[in-house]
Amino acid sequence: MHLRLAVLLAVFCLTACNSKKSAPRAGADTTDQPAGEVLELVFSYGSEKEEWIKECTAAFHARAPKTTAGKAIKVLAIAQGSGDCIEEAISGSPRKVHLTSPASEAYVKIGNARWASRAAGKELIAKTENLVLSPVVIAMWRPMAEALGWPQKAIGWSDILSAAQDPRGWSAYGQAQWGRFKFGHTHPEYSNSGLISVLAEAYAATGKREGLNAEALAQPSVRQTLLGIEQSVVHYGSSTGFFARKMFANGPAYLSAAVLYENNVIEANDAQRYPDLAFPVVAIYPKEGTFWSDHPIGVVEREWVTAEHRDAARQYIDFLLARPQQERALSFGFRPAAVDVPIAAPISTASGVDPKEPKTTLAVPPADVMDAALALWRETKKTSSVSLVMDVSGSMRGSRIKNAREGGRQLVANLSARDRFSLLTFSSAYQWLFQDVPLSSGRERAQQAIGGLIEGGGTALYDAIAEAYRAQTERQRADPARIGAIVVLTDGEDTDSRLKLEGLLQRIRFDSERQPVRIFTIGYGEQASEKALKAIADATQGRFYKGTPENIGSVFRDIATFF
Amino acid sequence: MNPESTQGPRITCLGQGVIVLFVASLLGFAGYLLWHKYAAERPTGPSAGSTSTESSPPPAGKVVEFGLAYGTEKKRWLEWAVEEFAKSRSGQRIKVNLIPMGSLEGGQAALSGDRRIHAWSPASSLYRDVFLQEWEARRGGGKSPLLKEETLALTPMVFVLWQARADAFSAKYKSVSFRTVGEALAEPAGWQAIAGQPDWGVFKFGHTHPQQSNSGLMTLVLMAYDFHQKERGLVLKDVLDPAFQAWMAKFEAGVTGMSNSTGNMMRDMVLRGPSTFDGLFVYESVVIDYLKNAEGRWGELRVAYPQRNLWSDNPYYILDVEWSSAEQRKAAQAFLDFLLTEPIQRQALVHGFRPGNPAVPVRFPESPFMQYERFGLRIDPPVSAEPVKAEVINNLLQIWQRTRR
Repeated sequence: MHLRLAVLLAVFCLTACNSKKSAPRAGADTTDQPAGEVLELVFSYGSEKEEWIKECTAAFHARAPKTTAGKAIKVLAIAQGSGDCIEEAISGSPRKVHLTSPASEAYVKIGNARWASRAAGKELIAKTENLVLSPVVIAMWRPMAEALGWPQKAIGWSDILSAAQDPRGWSAYGQAQWGRFKFGHTHPEYSNSGLISVLAEAYAATGKREGLNAEALAQPSVRQTLLGIEQSVVHYGSSTGFFARKMFANGPAYLSAAVLYENNVIEANDAQRYPDLAFPVVAIYPKEGTFWSDHPIGVVEREWVTAEHRDAARQYIDFLLARPQQERALSFGFRPAAVDVPIAAPISTASGVDPKEPKTTLAVPPADVMDAALALWRETKKTSSVSLVMDVSGSMRGSRIKNAREGGRQLVANLSARDRFSLLTFSSAYQWLFQDVPLSSGRERAQQAIGGLIEGGGTALYDAIAEAYRAQTERQRADPARIGAIVVLTDGEDTDSRLKLEGLLQRIRFDSERQPVRIFTIGYGEQASEKALKAIADATQGRFYKGTPENIGSVFRDIATFF
Repeated sequence: MNPESTQGPRITCLGQGVIVLFVASLLGFAGYLLWHKYAAERPTGPSAGSTSTESSPPPAGKVVEFGLAYGTEKKRWLEWAVEEFAKSRSGQRIKVNLIPMGSLEGGQAALSGDRRIHAWSPASSLYRDVFLQEWEARRGGGKSPLLKEETLALTPMVFVLWQARADAFSAKYKSVSFRTVGEALAEPAGWQAIAGQPDWGVFKFGHTHPQQSNSGLMTLVLMAYDFHQKERGLVLKDVLDPAFQAWMAKFEAGVTGMSNSTGNMMRDMVLRGPSTFDGLFVYESVVIDYLKNAEGRWGELRVAYPQRNLWSDNPYYILDVEWSSAEQRKAAQAFLDFLLTEPIQRQALVHGFRPGNPAVPVRFPESPFMQYERFGLRIDPPVSAEPVKAEVINNLLQIWQRTRR
């Protein structure tokens, strides 16, 4: 499921289906409003708490809540990355958000700083309350953690750095069969856990626990630490949940460890959710300190938020913080923000976590320091080599090709200047327009080429993917330090390839030890074969997206977060 | 840092007012405490200031709403009280809108004409005269906007630490005081040097913002008294003493958090545990209020009293303002009378406050002050520090501002 775009319209059990009239609240004007008068409260939130919010929102609607003026309250709850929560609140597009809850205070700080620079010092989110909490942890397969000395020895970022930099990989720990040390965290510009990872790496390099500043970030040791750790990253991504699911479903061959939340570890060890888990997963609370994902919730201080929205927001927040909802949060693996709810199972060692951890935390630095840390990350992040495989068959005519061209250009725009890019188009046959162009000098050329694509002919999808995979694999062999990926966009089923799907799947099968090339597939419109495209993405540990002319821009943007 | 410098940070008009009247309020309050001490020994008595005619419920058939801006240290007690009030006869047709705000923030909102606010209950009467002065400056007319003033509950300041950390701290420093906390904060190796516990990180201690929170300002005054090891006669010379300034700067450099709300800070300590705060300097009431919650999260807390203390009196002001109707004032009075009744005052005790109604006893077996003695709570108030002059406070805040640069 595409979390970034997921719009969660919970079940609204409003007055129409509620035969029992709710008791009027003291002092409220209980005069019934004309039928159908509804106040919609747009609520964006970090996708980490999606399941809990979905359940709570449905329960909230079931109570038929009303504003003081008597309008029915409908909460439109939208799960997305924390970065997007803030960006949307600032831009007011595509939705005008009234209430938001990113995964941590760090994004509130960033949002307030960005908005203050545009709006004469005003805050974007003035007051917040914590909904739930979860420490940021390094989730690791238990045997791997034990190989590093856990639990007798406290593990931290320095151990991750050592493992990441050791060319012998797990052999250095007497476990040659595990291959390379493979690490993962999300994209820090889109996802809270990614941002936290970068800040924690920087803190660990300085030896500080607070007071991270520009001067400290300028130290060569900080750059070296970030470079060392980031080179072991298999890929980035926009969603912590996606990372977690991939890790737990694909086992230690896919990832040795990843920066996740404590609640993700609890989910992993839930036998009902992951009956075939390769090994138990444990939460490592880094010895240098970590951050709390504290899920602040606050009204967006923009002109479209009325007193009625604030009234509705207050009722919704109070509902989320009430004991029954907080107890449910515990069952989802979160630490309740209501302190009268004691910490109990599943937050226990049986679920791979420690309720008495973390022992020390790191201070969220000011927004300008976080921006400086992100700039340093962009300079030290793992680079990518990306091939875009674009369907230009006759069926792509009209808005399809137009919007796909725009989306492809956006993909190129979002890649780093240190990345390399290739473009292969296909209709009845494939054609390389250019290969392995460094974007430092070739970005404009790449965007012009994508902008000039025209449609016509059949669909030799499998042949095109096979060719792109062959060429990309060769590039990976020559330059194994890069993330290798292919992005495929097609709007139809294969009609012209000599190669069949089974043959293609055999050629591209994932091998984590042989510098993998991941394929991200976009089924563009209803005619695309979702089944085949999903099989291709799954075979390479990539990801399948369902695209439309309307969402294709954000699909490409999301794919770019993996690199 | 040059104490003689005239280039130091300037304190706002409101801040100056706070300072000037801090002294007056403390003096007045000292008198109140003396009265309270004796009055508390009386078996029963009517709530001070209440009249039966004022607390009569509003006319039948109409619901009256009024807003009460209050300091978050009273959040749990007041939220409970509002629920109880709604069930009572006098509360049948009254809706109390609780508006959580910092002590200074609530007053500022009323001054700015926030029409939601009809009554205000900051943490202490520290801000009362500042409020009146500002009101007169903005609106003139010579009429006080405070229709009624009453003390709801009392509480002193305390140090609170997690048990394991308190034990380790005491093993090293023998006692918890500003001086020993300062030593721990200045320890670069943190808990490794204090107790051989490197995984506890640095020593993390917090208090609220002195310019935004009543308890933060009290912290600075008590720090100055503690440094000079005296209970009275804190003078300008003492706070201008370079040795004190250097010690305070070092102390404050290590302080973390600096919230504008004592209640929120305590809640944060319980929520995030020793990973975020090893200890705080807060109201005794908030500690009592969170003792049980803390056990359900990270373990037991331990309390220690500073050698000299200051009290917070949690006043309740009914506002006589143009946006407040006669019905709303009556409703605010009815709620005040309700808050001062014995059952509600007893509940204040449960939430850690020493009752404002002197008829409600503190010394009985179920009293938290007796029940929680093992946590370090004491029933007898510690020694009260003497109020200090405005110029002392003024300079104290200026020096503090410099330490934040």
